[in-house]
Parts: sequence; C-alpha cells; structure tokens
Amino acid sequence: MSAAVTAWELSRRFGDFLAVDRVSFEVREGEIFGFLGPNGAGKTTTIKMLAGLLRPSSGEGWVAGLDIRTETAAIQSRIGYMSQLFSLYADLTVEENLAFFARLYGVTGGRRRERIDWALAMAGLEDRRRRLTGELPLGHKQRLALGSAVLHEPRILFLDEPTSGVDPLSRRSFWELIDDLATRGTTVFVTTHYMEEAEHCHRLALMNRGRLIALDSPRRLREEMKSPLLEVRTSEGLRAIEALSVLPGVLDVALFGRALHVTVEDREGAVERLQDGLRAKKVDVAGIRPIPPALEDVFVARVREAGGAIVD
Amino acid sequence: MRGRAERVAAMVVKEFRQMFRDPRMARVIFVAPVIQLLVFGYAVSTDIANTATFLVDHDRTRASRELVDSFTASGYFRIVGRSDRPLDLVRALERGEAVVGLTIPVNFARDSTSSEGARVQILLDGTNSNTASIAKGYAERIVADFGRRLAPRGALALELRDRPWFNPNLESRDYNVPAVVGALIMLISLLLTSLAVVREREIGTLEQLKVSPLTAGELIAGKTIPFAVIALIDLAIVTAVALYWFEVPFRGRFFLLLVASALYILSALGVGLFISTISATQQEAFLASFLVFMPAILLSGFMFPVTSMPEVFQWATLLNPVRHYLEIVRAVFLKGAGFHALSRQFAALFVIGTSILLFAATRFRKS
Amino acid sequence: MTSKRLLAVARKEVLQLRRDPRSLILAFVLPVLLTVLFGYAISWDVDNIEIAVLDQDRSKASRELLDAFRASSYFRLSAFLDDPDEIERLIDRGEVRMVLVVPPDFSRELGAGRTALLQAVVDGSDANTANIAMGYARAIAQSYSLRIAFAGSSFHPPVQAESRVWYNEELSSRNMIVPGLVAVIMMIVAAMLTSLTIAREWERGTMEQLAATPVTRIEVVLGKMLPYVGIGLFDVFSVSAIGVLLFGVPFRGSPLLLVPLSTAFLVGALGLGMFISAITRSQVLATQIAMVATYLPAFLLSGFMFDVSVMPPVLSWLTYLIPARYFLVVTRGIFLKGVGVDVLFVQGLLMIAFGAAGFAAAVSAFRKEIE
Repeated sequence: MSAAVTAWELSRRFGDFLAVDRVSFEVREGEIFGFLGPNGAGKTTTIKMLAGLLRPSSGEGWVAGLDIRTETAAIQSRIGYMSQLFSLYADLTVEENLAFFARLYGVTGGRRRERIDWALAMAGLEDRRRRLTGELPLGHKQRLALGSAVLHEPRILFLDEPTSGVDPLSRRSFWELIDDLATRGTTVFVTTHYMEEAEHCHRLALMNRGRLIALDSPRRLREEMKSPLLEVRTSEGLRAIEALSVLPGVLDVALFGRALHVTVEDREGAVERLQDGLRAKKVDVAGIRPIPPALEDVFVARVREAGGAIVD
Repeated sequence: MRGRAERVAAMVVKEFRQMFRDPRMARVIFVAPVIQLLVFGYAVSTDIANTATFLVDHDRTRASRELVDSFTASGYFRIVGRSDRPLDLVRALERGEAVVGLTIPVNFARDSTSSEGARVQILLDGTNSNTASIAKGYAERIVADFGRRLAPRGALALELRDRPWFNPNLESRDYNVPAVVGALIMLISLLLTSLAVVREREIGTLEQLKVSPLTAGELIAGKTIPFAVIALIDLAIVTAVALYWFEVPFRGRFFLLLVASALYILSALGVGLFISTISATQQEAFLASFLVFMPAILLSGFMFPVTSMPEVFQWATLLNPVRHYLEIVRAVFLKGAGFHALSRQFAALFVIGTSILLFAATRFRKS
Repeated sequence: MTSKRLLAVARKEVLQLRRDPRSLILAFVLPVLLTVLFGYAISWDVDNIEIAVLDQDRSKASRELLDAFRASSYFRLSAFLDDPDEIERLIDRGEVRMVLVVPPDFSRELGAGRTALLQAVVDGSDANTANIAMGYARAIAQSYSLRIAFAGSSFHPPVQAESRVWYNEELSSRNMIVPGLVAVIMMIVAAMLTSLTIAREWERGTMEQLAATPVTRIEVVLGKMLPYVGIGLFDVFSVSAIGVLLFGVPFRGSPLLLVPLSTAFLVGALGLGMFISAITRSQVLATQIAMVATYLPAFLLSGFMFDVSVMPPVLSWLTYLIPARYFLVVTRGIFLKGVGVDVLFVQGLLMIAFGAAGFAAAVSAFRKEIE
C-alpha cells in the first residue's frame, strides 16, 4: 500500500517560536488518520503545510506523490480542504457557494449539477439551497463545508478541526459521513482536540508542543499505556484529590466526571495503598478498581512523559 | 457629584491610554494634520506665476521685444516656445505645453505709432478657468500699461487704484492655510469620536460599560472630552506652523479663536457621536465620516467661495458649522476682527453646535 | 490559468457586490452625488460680488461710471455709503468684498482732461476672489476710460489686446471640473472599493478556503478586478452623461478613445487598491491607506483644481508620480480640446503602463500562503 501523505522532519518556525518540530509520519491510502493534541500543539500548522497554505521552514513532505514545497498547485487540485471555522461566503447562498467551489475545482457542466445535488443531499440542505449561508446553523455550515471540499471527488481530504463548536449529535452524524467517505477509498487526514472522536481514526498521531509524541492505532495506544490506571469513586472529590496527590507512587490524579482517575507507578498492591491513604484522611470512598485507560488518559500520560502541555 | 466627576475622569484617562497605545490613532492625530497642512499650504494655490506662454512674433522689432519683456518681467508669464508659424502655437495649446499664446502681428511697431493703433492677439487655454481668468486679466493689463507708456498723452482718463486690505500681495496661501484648521478639527473630531465609540461596540466592551454605574451622559462626556482636548492641541500646532513656517499674519486675538474653536468642536463631536450610533463596525464609521466630511468641507467656503454657489446652496450652507467657523478663523487671522464683527457667526456656531450634540446624545442614550 | 476559474471568481464577486448595499452606494451613488455637487454647487466662477460705493462727487460722470458697474453681472451694488468710516466696518464684517471710492474732484479732473482717480478698496483675505474682482473692475474702468478719452475723436489707443479663450470660452469652472471629476472619481472609488475586497476575505477567513483550491493568484486578482472594471466604466459613462446633458459640458473628442484609456487607468487604480488590500489584510487599515494614497493626491495634486505649474518644485515633481494627473490631461483633452491619439500619445502610453504596473503590483503582493 503506498503512502498518500508523507511528512519527513517537517518543521515550521514563527520568529522565535518553533510551532512544528521535526515531525515525521506516513498516512496510508484509505486511512482515517487523526492528529490529536491540545490547542497550540502544532496540528493546524502541520495540516496547513501539507495543504500548501504555509511554507515549511525545513523538512520535506509529499501529498499524492507530489512535493509540498514545489508542487503545491498540483496538490491543491487533488485534495479537498476544510478550514477551521468552515469559511464559506456568508453572503452567498448555499447553492452559490457550492457552484463557486465546483468551478474552482474544474467540475463542470452536467457533472457539476450532479455533484451539487449530491452535496446538498449529503448535507440535508436540498430545500435550503437558496438560503444565505450566513443564516445557517453551525451544524449545517459544517456539512456544507464538507460538501464543498469533496465536489471534485478528491482522493485525499484534509479536515482542520471539522467539528469544533458543533453539538454532539451533529458531530456524530458528521463522523458517519467521514466513515462513509473512507470506506469508498478516500484518505482522510483530520485534526481534532476532541478525544472521543479520535476513536474513529484508524491511526492517531499525538502532538504536543510541536512534537510528535505518539503514533499508533487507538487500540494499541491504550494497550501500551505504561502506567496503570485506577478509578476511585467517591463523593468527596476535592478532598480525595488532596489526599491522593501526596501519596507516594501516585503519578497523577484527575477528575473524570464523578470519579477520579488515578495513575500509579506500580500495579502491585495499588488498590490497598490508595484505600489506606484515603481512610487515613477520613475520605469516604465508594469503590476503587483498575480500569482500562481511555484515550484521554493515554494522552495526558504521554504529555506528562514528554514534559507537560503548553499553557494557553 | 463627586462620583460623577470621578467616573468621567476614569473614562477620559482610559481613552487617552488607549489612544496612545493604538498606532492608528497616533496616525490620525499627528500624521493627518501635518500632511494636510503641508499639502494645503503648498499645493493649494490659485495664484498664477510663470504661466507657460508661446510666442509668435511676426514683427521682431525692438518694440515687439519690449512688449514681450514686459510680459516676462511681470513674473506672471514665461515664454516656453517661439515660432513663426501660427500652427505651432495651436499645437502647443493643444498639447498643453503652453496655456497662453501671444501673437504679435507683422506691422506692430509701425501700427502702434499710427492713429489706428496696433492689436496683439492673446489666446488662452480655458481648460483651467481660474488660471485663464486671472491670466487674461493680467495680460490685458500689461498690454494696456504698455500702450500708455507709448503714448502718454490723453491715454488715460480714468485710473483705477486698487488697495487690497489685509493681504497686499494677494497671496492665496494666507487665505488657505488658516482654513486648514477648520478642516482638521472636523476631521479629527469626527474620526476619533466615531471610531472610539464603535470600537467599543465591536469588541463588546460597550455592553460592559452600559451595565456599570456609568450613566449615558457620563459615557458621552468621557468619550468626547479627550478628543476635544486633542482637537485643541491640533489647533495650537496648526496655528504655530501657520504663523512661523508659512508666515501667515495673525492680527486678531487668540482668545477669540479659542472660543470659536470650542464651539465648533461641539458640532464636530456631535456629528462624530451621531455617526457612531449608525455604524456597526469601525470601517463603516470611517466611511461614513468620510462621506460627511467631504460635502461639509466642499460647501463651506474652504476652497470654493460661498458667494459663487447657487442661491439654494448658499442658504443651505448657513447650517454648516464649517462655514461659520472658517469665516471667523480667516477674519481673526487676516483682518484682526473682533467679536462684534463676528457676532453672527459665533451665534450660529453656538446654536448649531449645541443642537447637534444634544440630538446625537439623545440618539446615543436610546441605543 | 483557466478562464473558468477566473470567471468563477468574477461571478462570486458580483454576487457579493449585489448584496452589499454599502459597496453599491459607493460604486454608483457617490459618483453621481459628487458630479451633481461639483457641477451644480461648486464653482470658482466669480459673479454677484457684493460691492459698496462711496460717491464723494455725485456728478453725472460718477453716476455713469457707477452705472457701468451696476450693469455688469459680475458685481452687485448693495450699499451706498456716506462716510469713509463705514468702509472698514463693512469689509471687516465681510458684508462687501470691495468698496469703490469716487473722490470729490472726479468730474472736475475729467473735465479738465486730466486723469481722474478711482479707488477700489478690496478685501484681500480671499485672494482669489479679490484678484478676479479687481480684474473685472479694471476692465470696466478701462472701457469707461477709453470711452471718455476718445469720445468723438478717431484716436485709437496705441496698443490693444484682443483676447480669445479657447476650449472653454465661457470660462466656466464647471467645464474645467467635470472632465477632471471623471478621473478623480474613478481613482477614489476604484481604490476604495478594491482596497476592501482582499482584506475582507482574509479577515473573514474565506481567503484561506479559497487559497486551498487550485485557483492561481492571477486568476484571483483578475477575477476580482473584472466586476470593478465594469463599474468603473459605467461611472465614466454616467459622470460624462450628467456633465454633458445636465451641465452642458462640451464633448468634442472621440468616445472611442476615452474608453480604452479609461480602462487602462481603471486597471491601474484597481490594481493599486488591491495591492493595498493584499499587503494590509485589514479592512480598517486598507481604507485609511487607500484614502491617503488616492483621495488626497487625486484631489489636490493632479491638477484637478489647482494648477500644477504653480506648485513649489518638490510638490510639482511629486505630481509626476500621480497617474491621475496624466489621465486628467486625457479627459480634458477629449472633452474640451477634442484632440486625438496624436496629441495624447504619451499620456496613452503612460495609462497603459500604469495599468500594467497596478496589475503587477496586486498580483505580486497577493499571496495565497498565509505566510
């Protein structure tokens, strides 16, 4: 299987600030490849370099076999790109936006009409084709933006934070669309900071402070998590955090909904040690048990191992 | 009362801070006046000098040469080309190489001593009607003076002695430079007030201010006072430059100018405030200010005399504060006029200024 | 470069323009407004100058002289004074511009064959009006003088001037201004409108989406320019039509020459506006710079109202850099002088050069990359 997207030692500097630090990876054809990380990690910068919107400071990259430093024009005809904030023309109607981008991508004549109809159907906007785009709710804008990006049926799709600000229901249906596209052979390169969405991806790259700190499938990332995880259910969250943070062998304590996720160094006897520690401080505990890590836990651990996240 | 003053002072201080941090404001406050002054001081001139003249001298005698010399000696005309062929003169005018054409006929010297007299032809390119009018006047005068020198006897029954008051050299600069003050103050007050308020609306802090103890009146005062101060500072700068750089005379009392300026600023601030109530973005405010500024200046007597306008417009300009302010400014600079002579204009400024400001403030309060 | 992408950009721009009332006003209403304002309200033609008279002679001769002034449309006799002190008051207040003072020995001097003096006290603060007013007064005094001096005799003055004014015989400032307006309006409107277009897309984020498509820089710049060229030419037409039909400004040259030269000038002005838009990427900043870079020079330094030749050397050299100056020669040449390519050859080339330079500047300044 050949690589749809390759990055090698890709870096980008803004003045003194190194936004992307020697990032290397390969995206296989037909894969949904996710770029995960907090704000400011360098995800958007990386995707923009690949899409020809930013010039790399150093390093190399290839998209569909074309060099991102010298063949951006050719690359741009072959990829679809959805920018953050779904930047469509607010003062054009839904139809006009689609027609415009169709023309820019060289989709003409009868095929254009077909593709526009398809996009409208996919986005659920058939009876709103004459509406001004600015008046649409965010979820519809999102789907419209996706439609505009795939009118020319590109093999590779770049999506930059495609679900930011959208309600969970819309997010879920959006990912169904992505899955559908991937099944038909489109390679999807997507950046996101929503951890639960990362599960949709075939492989994930975790980015922090401009560096790639992990690259694997979600399942293996979870399996490989070094530090074991325990869940502590308690009604006195804050006091429990206080008590646990000072215990030896405890690496991290985080609030997870109503429970605490505690990362410990050693699985052996961890449950008992935590129980003792909490009882000593007279904290009421409903239960302690080891749990498999969620991606968020993996991420937090990896970030900690790599030296901490950037403070926004 | 204490609290009121404190709140207003707080706003004023904030405005000043923001103003000096924002490079855009600095540009408008300091760069715009300088540019306008320089340009208006130097570029705007309705005087003529060294007007390009093409000469066709068919006679070429001493007399004809003396006539030409009297043209060039006046400083108003400059010979840029000569020829024997009238066609060349036409060409020169067509191409714009010359604006005046002087044709001296073949028997000029002989005819000028005969009883019939000689005639010289003066052709003027009327494209710039102003220059042409003035050039025509001077040319005819030079010819008439020349004729009188030739035949002093009985040549002149009537001599017109002119005595220009206030501006003996009739330098248009002295008329234009002081007027720049009026344009500047209007521009600055308009721009700054409307931009300052709208910017707060854009970034959302206006809402924040509205829920604070600050009343609408205090908000308005806080927004307008800093710009009134800036406008007055600019007044001082422009006056100083006018006096010391351009050497425009100042014969009146500065105090009078100050009072008039204060009243004028009321109008300018009022309009600025009004614009801020109809603009959603800074850019709209900017364009609206521009659209108001242009006709206000054009119809004020700044560059084009009010007396030249059709009656209707002349009446309309009575509502234009710029007109009245310019009359005061010019009178104070050049005529040394006192309050008495300018009482009508002062009254007009007061009425217009307070009305506009009140109207704008009411609108602002409602929003 | 493909025409399809170019036309797609142009089509989008038109759709957006149609829905933006502010741009439409700027594009269509403002030029008409300016033309009417300038043509109708504003002029330098000086007439109905208010004057006062202090006749200390009150003879038949002085009355005849004053009648000559009264008959002239340039002056309006609004006050008859009894006292020299009143002169100062009237002029100070600006109620009159000029006071004619006839000395008490006026008719006596005339009768004796000597030269009689007539004094004109002029308010010099408005130098321009004063100059022109004095010119008129002098002309009236001159013809009166000739009538008296040579009455009944066949003696002619040794030298007389025959003046003729070409191209603008009535010396109407309107004829001077309207052709200039065509140039000025185009410059201002073009630069203001286009200074917003690219900056607006960057600010709203749509430029990023656009930049990710295969569209090229030339296609974006040219595509955005096309609708504005249309608007500009329409404005040329409407301003010219208003000038000719409403104000009677002559049009002696060839419209066929005006169109291509206007188009070249337009492309240059549009290119300039887009250049500003591309480098600032901020609408507020673009508007400000556009105003200073186009409005000021076009109005003041292009020869539109003020004679370039009278400016100090530094400024007059500066005017050579202002495209509007050359275009003004073209419009005035075509409207008033009726000249053709042979005369306007140089200016024509300069217009084309300006158009090319503006376009090139816009394309090179506009980058698809964010940085």
